[in-house]
Amino acid sequence: MKSAVKNFKGLSDKAIAWIFITPTLILLLAINIYPLIYAIRMSFTNFYANKIGREPKFVGLKNYQKILGDEEIWEKMQITAHFVCWTLLLQALIGLGLALLLNRKFKGNELLTTLIVLPMMLSPAVVGVFWTYLYNPQVGLFNYVVNFFYDFGVFDMIGSSTLAPWSIVIVDTWMWTPFTMLICLAGLRSIPNYLYEAAEVDRASKWQQFIHITLPSVLPFLLLALLFRGIENFKMFDLVVELTSGGPGSATELASINLKREAFEKWKTGYSSAFAVILFVTIFGFGNVYVKVMNKIKER
Amino acid sequence: MDTSRSPLEPSGFSRKLAATIIIVYMVVTLIPITWIVATSFKSVDSAISYPPEVFFEPSLEGYVNLFTNRSRQPKEYLDSLPPPETWYEELVRSREMVITGPSKFIGRYSNSLIIGFGATFLSVFLGALAAYAFSRFKVPLKDDLMFFILSTRMFPPIAVAVPIFIMYRKLGLGDTHLGMIILYTVVNLSLAVWLLKGFMDEIPKEYEEAAMIDGYSRMQAFFKVVLPQAMTGIAATAIFCMIFSWNEYAFAVLLTQFNAQTAPPFIPTIIGEGGLDWPAIGAGTTLFLIPVMIFTVVLRKHLLRGITFGAVRK
Repeated sequence: MKSAVKNFKGLSDKAIAWIFITPTLILLLAINIYPLIYAIRMSFTNFYANKIGREPKFVGLKNYQKILGDEEIWEKMQITAHFVCWTLLLQALIGLGLALLLNRKFKGNELLTTLIVLPMMLSPAVVGVFWTYLYNPQVGLFNYVVNFFYDFGVFDMIGSSTLAPWSIVIVDTWMWTPFTMLICLAGLRSIPNYLYEAAEVDRASKWQQFIHITLPSVLPFLLLALLFRGIENFKMFDLVVELTSGGPGSATELASINLKREAFEKWKTGYSSAFAVILFVTIFGFGNVYVKVMNKIKER
Repeated sequence: MDTSRSPLEPSGFSRKLAATIIIVYMVVTLIPITWIVATSFKSVDSAISYPPEVFFEPSLEGYVNLFTNRSRQPKEYLDSLPPPETWYEELVRSREMVITGPSKFIGRYSNSLIIGFGATFLSVFLGALAAYAFSRFKVPLKDDLMFFILSTRMFPPIAVAVPIFIMYRKLGLGDTHLGMIILYTVVNLSLAVWLLKGFMDEIPKEYEEAAMIDGYSRMQAFFKVVLPQAMTGIAATAIFCMIFSWNEYAFAVLLTQFNAQTAPPFIPTIIGEGGLDWPAIGAGTTLFLIPVMIFTVVLRKHLLRGITFGAVRK
């Protein structure tokens, strides 16, 4: 078959393949890989991007040593970890729960799914802005509703350093739970009916069916959803910048926000490039390990 | 055990319970969005009253404030002016202000449209070409190339923003529409290639082979047979790219200022007297969110595929 197709007129398949792929690769190399290599090179210098004309000096691994030995950076990493862990946990539980409920096919199912999904399609920055209004301690709807159920008096979700880390967890969970829900739902719908029929024949209880059939089938889907969310939230920037801008103090200063401050406010290009490389390696490393574990679970 | 129905069918009661919980969740989760849309129709005073007003007298003050710049004037000056000609002038006058000109909102909104459409067209076009090649031909290192394309999505935008900033400054692309279109095209390419490859894999090879036997060249077969067949997939991919460019914030806030700034970095900066002008922010947000909501409804069948880069198909 292959040789039959080969002899048609026009360019050879091989030529077409390269003509079709090259523009994409060139763009990615120019706008993604070149900047990355540039950043890696800069991470070994004391370059300041706002001081044009000053020759950057090679400083070896100094930037990396400084970052890894800096307690403040570790604080930022802890803040990031708090955000990532809690959002993943909440989105996994609520998302799976909603998917299980939606899987009991009732009327209006599709319409409800579409409506529930809306928050995650919105612009995170704009979502951040309007949640500052909902969280407003004097006039905010969120505060009013909370006080309606239990009277806490005046409280400031964004202005208090103990509450602020939770304020970003709540908004991110509100926004992205539909994501895990949708993917889990696809997992649930992929389970063939005969598995449950066989279980019924064996007189397995509903609970046993859930543990031995439903959960293992959904798990790969849930893990995939968490991988996507984990990567996104580790580099979280837009939502939190507009919501708390990293404050109060640095209570919600996630890694990306810190990076932005170092790179675009203090213009420490060399230092911030080193931090960017560390973040990238962390995401890549975690991602790789996670995918390996995920594939092992899938194989079982 | 009730044997009259299939054991797989949930009982009427459990189905009703599930529906109730889902409806409650839907209502609660939509309150924030409803609230910001409602706020856009409030007056400035009503937007900052406590307890929050659920029922209020609708006002277009937010929309007027969104589209205009105003300045406060002494009463004597206002009295000396000829009577207002339009309803919005009258509204502004009643707040003891005069309109000094249009605001930047329309400019920012059209920037969002220009950059969004430009980047969407380019990334879908280039993505379709690459996807076809990956789907049909033996490309050396195919899996590695596909993974490389995906991995570009893992970079934190801030990590590459400084080099791009410097590069754009040298090339004269800083704060230009073209620069932002190229940038968003690149960010969208990974998604476009992955999604479109999935869609093209689903089109039987026999279609183009038949066309080629009829005398089409491979190029003609691609443009006249494969592309029309892949139209649904292309449309879905285009909407996903559009939504991304529309919503993007990090690059926009770091790389643009005056000329090519899009709406997301602009909306938070809408300030009235003595703080943020909530009805105007609500109005800007509402106008900004409406296209995305429409897109979401149009896309609902392909949502899952889009958000997982084609990894999960229904």
